[in-house]
Amino acid sequence: MNPTRLRQRAAITRAIRQWFDEHGYLEVHTPVLVQFPALEEHLEPVKVGNAYLHTSPEFAMKRVLGAGLCRVYQIVPCFREEEIGRHHAREFTMIEWYRANAGTADLMDDVESLIASAAGAIKIPLPHFTRLSVADLRLRAGLDDTDDEVEWFQGWVDAVEPRLTDPTIVHSYPSWQAALATERNGLADRFEVYLGGVEIGNCFAEEGDPHVLRSRFSASAHKRTAMGKEPHAIDHGLIEATSRMPRTSGIAVGLDRLVMALTGTTDISDVQVQ
Amino acid sequence: MGRVYQTSDFRNGLKVELDNGPYTVVYFQFVKPGKGTAFTRTKLKHMLNGNVIERTFRTGETFREADVELESMQYLYSDDEFYHFMNEESFEQVAIVATAIAEEANYLVENDVVDVLYYKGAPVNITLPNFIESEVVYCEPGARGNTAQGATKPATLACGATLNVPLFIEQGETLKVDTRTKEYVSRVQK
Repeated sequence: MNPTRLRQRAAITRAIRQWFDEHGYLEVHTPVLVQFPALEEHLEPVKVGNAYLHTSPEFAMKRVLGAGLCRVYQIVPCFREEEIGRHHAREFTMIEWYRANAGTADLMDDVESLIASAAGAIKIPLPHFTRLSVADLRLRAGLDDTDDEVEWFQGWVDAVEPRLTDPTIVHSYPSWQAALATERNGLADRFEVYLGGVEIGNCFAEEGDPHVLRSRFSASAHKRTAMGKEPHAIDHGLIEATSRMPRTSGIAVGLDRLVMALTGTTDISDVQVQ
Repeated sequence: MGRVYQTSDFRNGLKVELDNGPYTVVYFQFVKPGKGTAFTRTKLKHMLNGNVIERTFRTGETFREADVELESMQYLYSDDEFYHFMNEESFEQVAIVATAIAEEANYLVENDVVDVLYYKGAPVNITLPNFIESEVVYCEPGARGNTAQGATKPATLACGATLNVPLFIEQGETLKVDTRTKEYVSRVQK
């Protein structure tokens, strides 16, 4: 815990709320305790009795969008089991927002503008982002294409991420990493945000087709079973709500990591009260 | 048999066996791509030659504890090929081949106590004491020809090392040296 950084964190949070106000986003509160964990093969939710603490507010936020609200945001604690390290804490704070009638390019503009406001709040130079595709980055790093998931990520972690020291928006992921994002030209229409060498955010153009969603959920459940993990139950209410959403894009940014990057620390415990 | 570690056991200073050699963990970082499996990014230092390598491990990979031990021993003497050390309690002696400790050997002072590293039961390396004291066996006299402040001149010590010392140091004086930085610390009054 570092008092100076906690003050900076407060200033950043205040600027972010103001940014949402100025851009017509409505703050919503959704349950932290949920019945259905997110669609993630590699994330473990924290179990509480017969329910879970959410790993992100994604599903509940989509139900809000399905009910007709067009711009919503939330700044909320999230929980992920087994994630502890300099960049990971079991409990952390997520800034998550959704924008109807918008694509990933609009959300790239949103996140760059929001980060500029946050940087301005603590009077540091505004980060200048470069937008690069996954294929481009892998090519530059000299990585061959591979179907092997572990090999793909090992190459990413070893050869690509260490080069992402400048503010970068990484877009156009392989379709097998689509999760709940739409596919476009055989690629997942999503992007990640790197700041200070660390991934701080993830954005999807949200998939709304209930048939596609059902098959993604069941593929994920199979994958978890194959990995010896408990498959998550399918949230049919979510699929129904998503199918009623207009074209929407949504993004989650880790507040702790954003504060880390802007205040120049690589240790999450510097920006949290632990 | 040593313990088996997982990536979640990684701590700075942990000693692991890798590629048929003992390594100590000098840096580790849990990394997890957005939609992928978790990894631990590490820097590992080879315990014998000091080379640092970078490796990324998949979460759940297992490692055997490096079969290494440290023993405090007194340095006795050297001959052409070996440096000889003795356990001060058991009086047991071991010899380490000179080429294995060529760099450290220049700071070995007779009767000093060092940490001898055993790998798979054999003595293979040493860690010097942080400070040694050794006599200047050769240096140019006085501050000849140079009046600049903070200027230095080379001096050769009885233990074999040559290092830069202040101009006022004279031959025959005993110096205190930091073996970690290989730098002059002070004069020692005998």
